[in-house]
Amino acid sequence: MSKLYTFLKYFFIVFWAVFVVAPFLWALTTSFKDFQSVNGGVTYIPWVDFEPNLEGWKVLIKSPAKGGVDIVEPYFNSLFVTCTASLISIILGTLSAYALSRYTFKAGFVKNNDITFFFISQRIMPPIVLSIPFFLFLSSINLLDSLVGLIVVYIVLLMPIAVWIMVDFFNKVPREIDETALIDGCNPYQAFLKVVLPNSIPGLIVAGMFCIIFGWIDFFFAFILTFTEVQLLPVKIVALNSSVTPWWSLSASALVSVAPLIIVAFIVERYLSKGNLSGAIK
Amino acid sequence: MAKIDLSNISHSYNPNDPNPVYALNPFSMTWENGNRYAILGPSGCGKTTMLNIVSGLVRPSAGKILFDDKNVTDLKTEERNIAQVFQFPVIYNTMTVFENLAFPLKCRDFSKAKIDERVNSVAETLNLKSFLNSPARKLTADQKQLISLGRGLVREDVAAVLMDEPLTVIDPDLKFRLRRNLKEINEQYKTTLVYVTHDQNEAMTFADNIIVMSEGEVVQTGSPKELFERPNTTFVGYFIGSPAMNLFDSEATSENTVKINNTIIKTNTNLSNLKNKNIKLGIRSEFIKIAKNQSENLVDVNVQKVEDFGNYKLITARMDNFEIKSKVNRETEISGEKIKLHIPAEKCCIYENNKLI
Repeated sequence: MSKLYTFLKYFFIVFWAVFVVAPFLWALTTSFKDFQSVNGGVTYIPWVDFEPNLEGWKVLIKSPAKGGVDIVEPYFNSLFVTCTASLISIILGTLSAYALSRYTFKAGFVKNNDITFFFISQRIMPPIVLSIPFFLFLSSINLLDSLVGLIVVYIVLLMPIAVWIMVDFFNKVPREIDETALIDGCNPYQAFLKVVLPNSIPGLIVAGMFCIIFGWIDFFFAFILTFTEVQLLPVKIVALNSSVTPWWSLSASALVSVAPLIIVAFIVERYLSKGNLSGAIK
Repeated sequence: MAKIDLSNISHSYNPNDPNPVYALNPFSMTWENGNRYAILGPSGCGKTTMLNIVSGLVRPSAGKILFDDKNVTDLKTEERNIAQVFQFPVIYNTMTVFENLAFPLKCRDFSKAKIDERVNSVAETLNLKSFLNSPARKLTADQKQLISLGRGLVREDVAAVLMDEPLTVIDPDLKFRLRRNLKEINEQYKTTLVYVTHDQNEAMTFADNIIVMSEGEVVQTGSPKELFERPNTTFVGYFIGSPAMNLFDSEATSENTVKINNTIIKTNTNLSNLKNKNIKLGIRSEFIKIAKNQSENLVDVNVQKVEDFGNYKLITARMDNFEIKSKVNRETEISGEKIKLHIPAEKCCIYENNKLI
């Protein structure tokens, strides 16, 4: 029985690992292939099955004038927009979440839970519903096709995630912690900054991770709200497609676009394995 | 350190409701500087509300709080210089034990030398010295509670240290030692200590003054002896002491005698001004002994059971429709089922409408 269990356990782990890793390996080998190696039947191993070349990667940094696509600028645009919007969302989201968790708000029948739900409801709506208002809004303040405009929109999209995660997190931090800090002589701001916030780092990391992921992978709004001046990575990658699908450069760009998320995942995973995310309170 | 006056304090959590429910009914009280107080009462009687009002976490619906005759009712918690320890350990997880203990002093800009001195002295008292540099979150629950306690004691000038059932999570042996430590700290630094508990033994052994509460009302304040011997209400008689006070429905028959069933009992209370002839006679089981050569205040009872508690025996007996309990010496021989018990007149408490007269 236990042998069977061990066998099944490892079988599923290996199966799952293959399931997750295989597409990456596939993309990695494809990125080093040329037209011939991609279209001339299935090949796997470089130098044996096919002759690797760097053409797929070179296209990504070559300027359009020389037949390349140059994703460097969109890449840094994406990094800048995602990080700035995530940071601002986390700061604003954490402050609102703390207020929603600790203070009672009432406006007619609207109470704390309704306000929290209002934040989340922004994400329940299909993005297409928001696209026209966003477009009109940004055009009215002359921020269409600009990094700042994108940051503003991304904050609207990411802050609900931060609020949602942090409200739940703060609700689990006992109120007595704040009260004790007040008794020990902090004012409410110091209590939040010196005591509650350091205790909430795990929540901040989770919220930050979600914001970065959702910001980084967004294509829809980046596509609708930008034209020529500013481009973000997902839009640029889609633009790679042409009558002859360049699988090699598509694979290469897919790998570079996933890279930041893999780095984030590694950092969070290390933090998780140290046990820092659990048992923060009591 | 301060004298704390609570003047006409009352509190409701829904004061704007047409029928507000009061967690605390109006009361006034003074906590003298340097004394030890225990607030005793069953769960939900308003003990914690009272503490939170003193520390400023809750603003009372009515009344004033004075620290050394200065009105602090509208002062914020952080401006009151008070320490409060909660039932469950509250520690700052991200800090070391030292930083935890130093936090209240740091918030008040004490010098580094002073902080070191105070933290070390408190850590010494609470046996935390060897943990000072460990992360606080790595400690056990009772050590964490010691840190909470330590943060309360680290400020010498604190107006009072309020403790809300602080020893719940601590094992009995350490509990005993800590209570003694707290007493020593009180004697050494003259810190006013207020200790909330629902455990009468804890209250009796810790405090020189006990405040008994029931359903938002302060029912009696007094020394452990007063509460034990002269409970103000039948509730106090019932709540304090183990077993609870014996209470008998009775009828006043003259200015100092009452009748329980057909037995006449003499008391030292003047009963001539009673409005109601139906009263209750209360007497502690500690004062009821097996009759030897007394001639009055004797009751005939049927012994139901005798329990040996090691240091004393508890007799449970029936006197017609009443149960009567008597605590006697271990060596006492109980012969036969029918015995005579003696009820000393000077220890009888008479209650009219459940209030002592």
